[in-house]
Amino acid sequence: MAKLLIVEDDDALREQLEIGLTASGYEVCFAATGTDAIPAFEKHQPDLVLLDLMLPGKNGIEICTELREFSGVPIIMLTARTDDSDMIRGLEAGADDYVTKPYKTEVLVSRIKARLRPIKAKATSHPIVNIGPVEMDTLSHEVRKGDQKISLTPLEFKLLLTLASHPNEVYTREMLLEQVWEYTYKADTRLVNVHVQRLRSKIEDDPENPKLVLTVRGWGYKAGPE
Amino acid sequence: MLFGRLVKAALGLFRSSLQIRALVYTLALAGSALILLGGVLSVSIGNGLFSTRTEHALEESQRAQNTIARVFRDVQVDSTWSINQAIKQVVPELESSGVTQTRTVVFLKSSNQPNASRLEDAQSENVDLNLIAKSFREDVHAKGGIQSQTVQVMRDGETVPAILTGQKITLPGGHDYQLYLIYDMANEQQTLGFVQRTLVVGGLVTLGIIGFFSFLVTSWLVRPVQEAAEASEIMASGDLSRRLPVRGTDVVAVLATSFNHMADSLQEKIKDLGDLSKMQQRFVSDVSHELRTPLTTMRLSADFLYTNRDSFADPSKRSVEILHDQMDRFDKLLADLLEISRYDAAGVKPEYEVHDLNGIVGTALASIQHFADSKGVYLDAHIPSGPVQCEVDVRRIDRILNNLLTNAIEHSEGNPVRIQVAQNQTAVAVSVMDNGIGMNQAELSQVFDRFWRADPSRKRTTGGTGLGLAISIEDALLHHGSLEVTAEPNLGACFRLTLPKRQDLTEFDSPLPLAVEKIKI
Repeated sequence: MAKLLIVEDDDALREQLEIGLTASGYEVCFAATGTDAIPAFEKHQPDLVLLDLMLPGKNGIEICTELREFSGVPIIMLTARTDDSDMIRGLEAGADDYVTKPYKTEVLVSRIKARLRPIKAKATSHPIVNIGPVEMDTLSHEVRKGDQKISLTPLEFKLLLTLASHPNEVYTREMLLEQVWEYTYKADTRLVNVHVQRLRSKIEDDPENPKLVLTVRGWGYKAGPE
Repeated sequence: MLFGRLVKAALGLFRSSLQIRALVYTLALAGSALILLGGVLSVSIGNGLFSTRTEHALEESQRAQNTIARVFRDVQVDSTWSINQAIKQVVPELESSGVTQTRTVVFLKSSNQPNASRLEDAQSENVDLNLIAKSFREDVHAKGGIQSQTVQVMRDGETVPAILTGQKITLPGGHDYQLYLIYDMANEQQTLGFVQRTLVVGGLVTLGIIGFFSFLVTSWLVRPVQEAAEASEIMASGDLSRRLPVRGTDVVAVLATSFNHMADSLQEKIKDLGDLSKMQQRFVSDVSHELRTPLTTMRLSADFLYTNRDSFADPSKRSVEILHDQMDRFDKLLADLLEISRYDAAGVKPEYEVHDLNGIVGTALASIQHFADSKGVYLDAHIPSGPVQCEVDVRRIDRILNNLLTNAIEHSEGNPVRIQVAQNQTAVAVSVMDNGIGMNQAELSQVFDRFWRADPSRKRTTGGTGLGLAISIEDALLHHGSLEVTAEPNLGACFRLTLPKRQDLTEFDSPLPLAVEKIKI
């Protein structure tokens, strides 16, 4: 049974989330303030974090940044979306996905499921996938660039693996949303843009002048020429 | 051609420059005054010269009688020969005795006297006797005294005015003669010419000086006006901090002072409005956040109840279903309200990217297909084969299309809906046409109004918020494009969205017509 950490300051919402998510088969634990979030994470070691952005004490973006310093745990933001820039900043801080308030239970659950689903490479392919100097082990989920180990979040790993499995094939943002984020309906393509940027900052020599994950103007992205 | 263009340029300059206009008017007025003055001066100087010369001529003619008397003093009266000798002397005597200029002398005998055939006439060389008209000779003969007349004579190939005097002279021995003296006025003419040239040159110099000074004065007067004009233009373009320098206490200073006052109060008003707008934005943001959390809880509660609705007795179960549906409606309404208030607060920041409009339309059609099927509406899409690239915020365009398609399917009464995409050099367009009940003119004019519905009695099937088209037109305007509609009662309606291909294109024509027609499949 997967364990979820819910960081949410509203008591009623927290209680209703507990009822709904428990009924959907998850184990839930809580943090009611921003300052409690990191200690609660360390105590419960959850499989996924649901993070409200507007919190007393420490806001969601700071928590996100701190969590990413030591953990690749899937993070789904719960945003009020009065301002898109909040959502973008959350994604830039390392959140994998977001759900806009007021959300439906089924939407939230489908997002959680997508993030908890194990990443599988195609059964026929070799366990090692190469993209330029970067080597991806699809079994141990280890990523190396030369001698250097690169730590990618599961989402970043899935994104890179999707692109690298078909080098030089162009993926539109919509295709990536469907295959990596598992959206079956339209979603914000900026999710893809922000995560491609994060991925580049980890694997590229010069993220401003990428060689491995290339932008195809007007279309989308593809894995580099090698 | 060139001349025409020069005239056009000069006219343009004249119209556009206050200073040049003032200068031209000043020069025109001063020029007219100088011409008038010069004319009057020239005429009166000419008259003065003429009358002086006439006076002199008359005096000299008077004196000529003495000269003639002196010549004939010692002449023997009875000798025709000696009289003729004397007559010959008269001409050189009179020619030389003038004070200023040479005179031309004509000494003629009167015809009606005895021995006339033996007496001789005398005259200066090169005299045209036709100058002395017959009527003048008769006057001289009949009236006596000195008669005078103005005539024109040739002098060195030029015609100059001259004074002709005539008088009756009775020679010793009782012979009647007529003495004509012609005083030409070449000198006076020359003097007058000189005076006139001087007047013209002096007038031009004066005009130049007047022009120069009026240029200085007008530029000194116009400069503050120009500064005010520049400052107001800068203010109009958004820089409200611009002020005018105030010098002295004259009317220009009053202008500058009141301009600055106006700018101050304008700046203050705009700052107030800006503060108000910020406050409103803040309020909208706060309200939405505050509303959203309880709404989320309610939403989750309703979902939970709905999922477990089979465990309720019938009336409760139906209530749970109604609650669940209304939560959806409430959601949409709140989202639309927030979107439109964001537009009202000018807090919308579009994110432009180059997209293929065909792709956007295709996605929108795919997502609405299910709804169209449920209504039995055929979607007749005409999409060009090549890419239709345009610079858009794709989420907003998608929202517009979704809105137009939903409306068309809802109002088409089961008839097909036609979707067309086209492009030209500067713009792209999508039109959505239905063959529903259409709209009249009054309805057309309200179609983009908030919370307006085509037919209030109609059952609301999709639970639209009534804000869809109001948001769509804001989305279109945000792209510097247009969203237009035309409709005819009982024929249908056609909405046309036109967008510039790039955001820097301001002028464009829609590549699609805006008209309703019967759709034939």
